[in-house]
Amino acid sequence: MIKDAALSPILLQVFKNRFSSIAEEMGVALTRTAFSPNIKERRDLSCAVFDPEANMVAQAAHIPVHLGSMPLSVAEAVAGLDMEDGDMALLNDPFRGGTHLPDVTVAAPVFCKGFDGPAFYTANRAHHADIGGMTPGSMPPLSASLYQEGIIIPPVKIVRRGEVDPGLMRLILANVRTPAEREGDFSAQFMAARTGVRRLQELAEAHGPQTLLRYAHGLMDHAEAMMRAAIRAIPDGTYDFEDFLDGGGLSRRDIGVRVRLTVRGDGCVADFTASDDQAEGSINAVRAITLSAVLYVFRCLGPADAPTNAGCMRPIEVLTRPGSVVDAKSPAAVAGGNVETSQRIVDVLLGALAQALPERIPAASQGTMNNVTIGGVDARTGRPFAYYETLAGGMGAFSGGDGESAVHSHMTNTLNTPVEALEYAYPFLVNRYEVRRGSGGAGAYRGGDGLVREITLLSEAEASVLSERRTRGPYGLQGGEPGKPGKNTVIRNGEKQEMDGKFTVRLQPGDRLKIETPGGGGWGR
Amino acid sequence: MLVIGVDTGGTFTDFIYKTVRGWRVLKLLSTPDDPSRAVLEGLARIREMTGASRSLGRQVVHGSTVATNAILERKGVRTALISNEGFEDVLEIGRQNRLELYNLRHRKPAPIVPAALRFGVAGRIDAAGREIEPLDKVGLGKVVEKIRAQGVESVAVCMLFSFLDPSHERAVRDALSGLGVPVSLSHEILAEFREFERASTTAVNAYVSPRMDRYIQNIQAGLSGDPLRIMQSNGGAISAETARAESVRTILSGPAGGVVGAMEIAKAAGFERIISFDMGGTSTDVCLVDGEPPLTLESSIEGYPVKAPMIDIHTVGAGGGSIADLDAGGALKVGPESAGADPGPVCYGKGERVTVTDANLALGRLAARHFLGGDMRLDEARLEKALSALAEQTGLSPLDLAEGVLAVADANMERAIRVISVERGFDPREFTMVSFGGAGGLHCCSLAKLLSIPRVLIPRDPGILSAMGMVLADVIKDFSRTVMLRAFGLDRTALDAMFSEMERQAVSEMAGEGFSEDQVSLERFADMRYRGQSFEIVTPAGDDPGEAFEALHERAYGYRQQAEVEIVNLRLRARGTPVRPELAPAEEKSGAMDPAAVLGENPAVFDGRTVSARLLDRSKLRYGDRLQGPAVIVEYTSTIVLPPDVSGSVDAYGNLVLEISS
Repeated sequence: MIKDAALSPILLQVFKNRFSSIAEEMGVALTRTAFSPNIKERRDLSCAVFDPEANMVAQAAHIPVHLGSMPLSVAEAVAGLDMEDGDMALLNDPFRGGTHLPDVTVAAPVFCKGFDGPAFYTANRAHHADIGGMTPGSMPPLSASLYQEGIIIPPVKIVRRGEVDPGLMRLILANVRTPAEREGDFSAQFMAARTGVRRLQELAEAHGPQTLLRYAHGLMDHAEAMMRAAIRAIPDGTYDFEDFLDGGGLSRRDIGVRVRLTVRGDGCVADFTASDDQAEGSINAVRAITLSAVLYVFRCLGPADAPTNAGCMRPIEVLTRPGSVVDAKSPAAVAGGNVETSQRIVDVLLGALAQALPERIPAASQGTMNNVTIGGVDARTGRPFAYYETLAGGMGAFSGGDGESAVHSHMTNTLNTPVEALEYAYPFLVNRYEVRRGSGGAGAYRGGDGLVREITLLSEAEASVLSERRTRGPYGLQGGEPGKPGKNTVIRNGEKQEMDGKFTVRLQPGDRLKIETPGGGGWGR
Repeated sequence: MLVIGVDTGGTFTDFIYKTVRGWRVLKLLSTPDDPSRAVLEGLARIREMTGASRSLGRQVVHGSTVATNAILERKGVRTALISNEGFEDVLEIGRQNRLELYNLRHRKPAPIVPAALRFGVAGRIDAAGREIEPLDKVGLGKVVEKIRAQGVESVAVCMLFSFLDPSHERAVRDALSGLGVPVSLSHEILAEFREFERASTTAVNAYVSPRMDRYIQNIQAGLSGDPLRIMQSNGGAISAETARAESVRTILSGPAGGVVGAMEIAKAAGFERIISFDMGGTSTDVCLVDGEPPLTLESSIEGYPVKAPMIDIHTVGAGGGSIADLDAGGALKVGPESAGADPGPVCYGKGERVTVTDANLALGRLAARHFLGGDMRLDEARLEKALSALAEQTGLSPLDLAEGVLAVADANMERAIRVISVERGFDPREFTMVSFGGAGGLHCCSLAKLLSIPRVLIPRDPGILSAMGMVLADVIKDFSRTVMLRAFGLDRTALDAMFSEMERQAVSEMAGEGFSEDQVSLERFADMRYRGQSFEIVTPAGDDPGEAFEALHERAYGYRQQAEVEIVNLRLRARGTPVRPELAPAEEKSGAMDPAAVLGENPAVFDGRTVSARLLDRSKLRYGDRLQGPAVIVEYTSTIVLPPDVSGSVDAYGNLVLEISS
């Protein structure tokens, strides 16, 4: 169990509490002061504490897609920058610790009395509503390379000894569509990082940094032990599964995601090397995304109160092939890998596990986040706006229950923007927002239904949709039917035009955009 | 005037009132099948006991759990919801998130109104308050017929932007008038934007109000015309008539009563800034009161948002019954699983798993012979066995384990208090902890020490603090309205006009509560944010609301922003102070402690050392008595532990005031 025998099981619990409450407090500070509705209303953010080697000590669970990817950000910041007290690093480069460009990470060292160099790091990541690039909202469905997706920020020192670097900030703000909102979000991120630093310093003052670190490492061993117990409950064996993405964005060719899961005792190997090559378009995922998806799935199998830290990944080896759709090489376009491909990675891993644990694993959930971005100038105020939102869908049915309807599943859990908040903030009129009845797959237990959101534009705008599961519905299990695929429609002068899963379109006042999201798969005959 | 506070709890219904001879308390077993039975029986008994004062008149202030239980047990009435066409599923979709991130079988709570009883009507108001599509009267007629055919007992109506133009909601009410069922309109229950939260609050109101209405009528029938007030979740009371139609405002009134009681008692004793600490069997409620109780607008019950203003009470799953165990990774965890009342702790004779109460007994902090006044014997031998078994798994001695269990439980509660203090910009060192609840006295000193809280106050009757809060509560009505204005360069006259309109409504409604205009105090607030943010800060709306907002933002989050400030909602709080008994101090100090107060000595363990703790009987303690730890003070419903370095005294109100050295 716990390797360091001198650690008390009592203090272990006490410190688990302390570390995670620091991560959570950072999250509260960030949510409450941020400006992007993405961060505030939808809580698309994560906060975490790291040891000096960039091992994660604790993370506030907000969005699973950030789970496995935060440590790489800190590792890059540590490796590339000589961080002093009061400094902060900023980055979003997917090939240097990031995931996709809108997710911007701030990392800060924690210097403590009696400790040489940083004893800890805090980091927080938030999804910004626009970071530049070819489409408003920076989630282009049809990008061909990273350079089209927004400003690329390698690890840079944005704050030096407490002072924001004004030149760097101007450079970044000059590259985005809504600079005032961005500046507010960055302030909120700096503030959250500072909160974390201060709390860790207080804790180190009380207990000594060495003791803190010993317990931080004890907590990693503890998480590893819990994860190994969960894997031991899976029958040994080799399990294969494949599923497909509708297309890369620029092509409609199916893209295979394949896993071979090998379970031996209390460890396992998830081998994705047979997945297809990286695609033309923005659907590619960097390896950090794949790690996040794997960690998410195993976290679901473990006990609910397991801590989330670097120990969780120790029993699991993840194999990927550089240049594949689940481990893309620079300068691949990656905007959608985070939100779409991550869901398919979960689908194939769960599909493999369903062979080992048929009673425990549900059918596929909607398998997409239905990303909608709309940008333009609000004719009511003359101000530019950038709107980004993801839409919920059906969850897969399981042994003993129907799937939930109209809810976010797996790698995301963001809130919606209320209709009234949306109409106050943007030149939209929402025509309907309702459950898409009958879209869940049939079976002994029915898949959950997707939903329908239809919006009329009141100003001229450019709309982009990045969605999956438009050709193949989410799979059913044990004889259950698949859920209905999603459907995207543009309505002009009463005339309906069915669109692809991924498209960008110029809309005029009065035009309507209708998104119908997939239902979940059914379970059992 | 005899003012009687009545608090219905899970086990007991508590009554408190003041006679010429001082405060009197009555406790009766609750009657969960019909809570009004215990209430009426208690009132009848009090009437007999105070027979002489019959001519004085009587007022009853009641905290009821009827609305709460109707939700918890899903026993409200058959309710329909009418909304805009295309938005019938707003209650089902909610905010589209799931509460448990890692649960593959996640299910939301079933919507409070099922799909078959949700109806849409065409017609639309936009974000500027303009009607862009008239209400479809023909469609509405059809919906009314469907509702009639379905045997619906209550209807909620929530149309988009109704708080800007309520005409569509009013037209729906008119169309429903022939049905003879109560109708809850969203702009009347909560005139604020964000349709899901507003619809949910309105639907909960429609679902529980008819139950509350019947219950209140039952009680009124036994009161022969004497006035009845009902406690609300915002810490104020309200007339029974209002509570019958707007029961959603009473849903968390029990804990609110406790906070008001703690606040008033501390205020009388000279402490305006308190952290209330209410530790019971399964959970602990904490609340930070900086002069006034904080309000939150983000509460929910059973997963259903309820946006009526409520005292912001933070709850954590740690209590006397919390179970200690090792998790799959070998760390000691305590709670949130609880042994509850059945099977209860090991030492009560039935439970098999070690609880926080057991750990306290093992360490000598509970006196086995004096538990519940000696009415219940605690089984120490049984506990020793269970504790040794768990200790063996951890490799600790049983006593070290017991101290560990308390340390982990304290850490859970410490975290809860940090959330409401440090994380919101308050320094616990400037506050007094007011401790109550069955297990509060066992943990308050150790917890205060962890947080550097310098002082703990334990009220004289900590078991009936909630009923006390009801007797002392003001009558409070909260009004709100979404306006979406810019704060700087704001037309003050226009803002004043909006507030004046709300004030006219408030004064007229307070007249219905029995207060003339000059007896009503009105406070203006504005929910404000930087343009683009989506959490608002409730700001006192004085001469310069913009500056007031920025100062609050800076205190809570550490910085100001170069951005426009928006006024999202206007709030008005109307308050009247009813006739109420006074908390009066004792005049004379006791010379020395009554020897009968000392029950003996009890060995107790603190930080691994066994010391001899003085065992005291609280009922024999008097004003001026000095206290010095280590000591264990027993009273009927709770036990108070003073660790070795804690000292204190009994104040003029019978409260224990303990000094905590840091």
